[in-house]
Amino acid sequence: MAVTDGTPPPWESPEGFILGVTRRIWEERRIASLTRHYARDIVVRSPASVVVGNAGVIAATMATLAEFPDRELPGEDVIWCEAGPGAYLSSHRLICWATHLGSGAYGPASGRRLRYRILADCHVRGEVIDDEWLVRDQGAVVRQMGLEPLDWTRSQIAREGGPERCVKPLTPRTDRPGPYGGRGNASEWGARHADLLQRVMSADMAAIPATYDRAAELSLPGHRRAHGHEGADRFWMSLRAAFPDADFTVHHVIGREDPGLPSRTALRWSLWGRHSGWGMFGEPSGAEVYVLGMSHAEWGPRGLRRDWTLLDETAIWRQIVLHKGDA
Amino acid sequence: MKGFDPHFADLPDYILKITKEIWEDRGIATLHRYYGRDIPMRMPMGMTVGNLATIDGTLATLAAFPDRQLLGEDVIWSGDEDAGFLSSHRLVTTGTHTGFGVMGPPTGRSFTIRAIADCFCIRNQITDEWLLRDGSGLALQLGLDPETLVRGWVEAEGGPERAKRPFTPADDIPGPYGGRGNDNEWGQRLAAILQAIMDKDVAVIRRDYDRAVRTEHPGIRGGWGTAFAEAEWMAFRSAFPTADFQVHHVIGREDPHQPRRAAVRWSLTGTHDGHGRYGPPSGAPVHVMGFSHAEWGSWGLRREFSLWDELAILKQILIHRG
Repeated sequence: MAVTDGTPPPWESPEGFILGVTRRIWEERRIASLTRHYARDIVVRSPASVVVGNAGVIAATMATLAEFPDRELPGEDVIWCEAGPGAYLSSHRLICWATHLGSGAYGPASGRRLRYRILADCHVRGEVIDDEWLVRDQGAVVRQMGLEPLDWTRSQIAREGGPERCVKPLTPRTDRPGPYGGRGNASEWGARHADLLQRVMSADMAAIPATYDRAAELSLPGHRRAHGHEGADRFWMSLRAAFPDADFTVHHVIGREDPGLPSRTALRWSLWGRHSGWGMFGEPSGAEVYVLGMSHAEWGPRGLRRDWTLLDETAIWRQIVLHKGDA
Repeated sequence: MKGFDPHFADLPDYILKITKEIWEDRGIATLHRYYGRDIPMRMPMGMTVGNLATIDGTLATLAAFPDRQLLGEDVIWSGDEDAGFLSSHRLVTTGTHTGFGVMGPPTGRSFTIRAIADCFCIRNQITDEWLLRDGSGLALQLGLDPETLVRGWVEAEGGPERAKRPFTPADDIPGPYGGRGNDNEWGQRLAAILQAIMDKDVAVIRRDYDRAVRTEHPGIRGGWGTAFAEAEWMAFRSAFPTADFQVHHVIGREDPHQPRRAAVRWSLTGTHDGHGRYGPPSGAPVHVMGFSHAEWGSWGLRREFSLWDELAILKQILIHRG
């Protein structure tokens, strides 16, 4: 697929563009090229915040690199679909590692080593990213820094000026529309993955043994790993149990079959409702919570073989803490 | 499949189903049927011959870990119905240590380790086998120090003079399978990578591995990136820098809707004469049975699973030290 019109394409493919730009900006320090590759009024949604404009992205990038100067972020996969002429939606899975070598948002430099994943959906037109959804495994970062997600969230709210003035997490109320309104592509594999999550969220847990390979490997929030039907059941059960009445929506579905690769899928989904049950987030608080989730999967001959699912535990705790007013 | 029971659709189906039937569904006695009467089984801790030994070994393992599950992650295979198949089966095994066994009194702890079994399958039976599991990974998850555990075994077996010797090529009893795998490109690639690493050309990892590669090694050591893989292999090879490396069996596969993948069985034979993963050089003669599985993606080798039994290495060192 041609990613640029007319001029010789500097990137031979969407995968090449996404991996190349990521490396250029964050590893090769060409942070200024964000002005070229990120649209001026881009909306970047992450569970913790909605940021508008590339100036904010540049500032955040420099703050991160000052604190974690050796950060590397190789791409594990790029699962993409076409989105009209010269445009596509890329769902990028990254594994990051870094050392806490500079003092910053996580306190004085500690020398701690971090390993965590990011899932990022980017809408790319030509060689400009103009719409983005990103989930970073913040629960993993915080724990590996030696902190507990709930404690860290409370102190973070205080640092931002308290419950009234702190940054508000992503919800349908704080979200801003961007240029991309697509829903993905039509694919048997994508439909199968979406159906799995729909069934699980409808408490049809039998979908797990029916869909996952019995040796499936899951990479879960908090940089946790799990295996098999039991591992999958525990994760999805504890998530849904915390938000039993919340609306579950699948927003975006990509499926791909590329030669020499397993069939792969990328989903973006959300839960929106009350924290009214015992589950992954402890005692029910009644808080209204928005959970942005992203999942990648690889499929094998015996079902879903590898699942990478991320949500930001700290953004969920933030909504619970702000509701309870015990920040 | 000709010669196999009709309810097996293909070789992976046969392997996965009989594994579940024997170990999880308690069909231990079906080993009389599915395992050859005289099957040679090579394991790093020693060799057994015949399905009666397999049955006893299986029962002992299940007694120590009654809830053990064997989740088959992949079956990488070669061969055909007439000549027989070689299945290289990678499993994730999980369980809880609630019974008495070689790992000592029950610790109540649970574990998740990998194991790989190479089995020759013909006419509905397994008649030749090479098997290893992540023994040190199991010990560590049960809260046991590998060296203390192995020292206990050596003492219980009558001390360094009389303890049961781990497997060496001299103990091998040839079985019915004499194949070397297939000629698929991806198997050759994995064999070439391992050969280069063992020839101390460690740069092969940066050349051929994906930057984001995931590596799983024994002792439940796993990590991402080429730096992790390099450090792992260097720590291993440094312990046996002069040992002879041999590739015994190579399979590559390109199946629709699956990654290109490979399975290689290899060994190192020589002396523990270097500082590396296993402490100061002891001069112990050592034989290491190794298995590697790999998957490739668009940007190189993307997942590497290698296993050798570190408890068998420790046992050879402890016996030599006396």
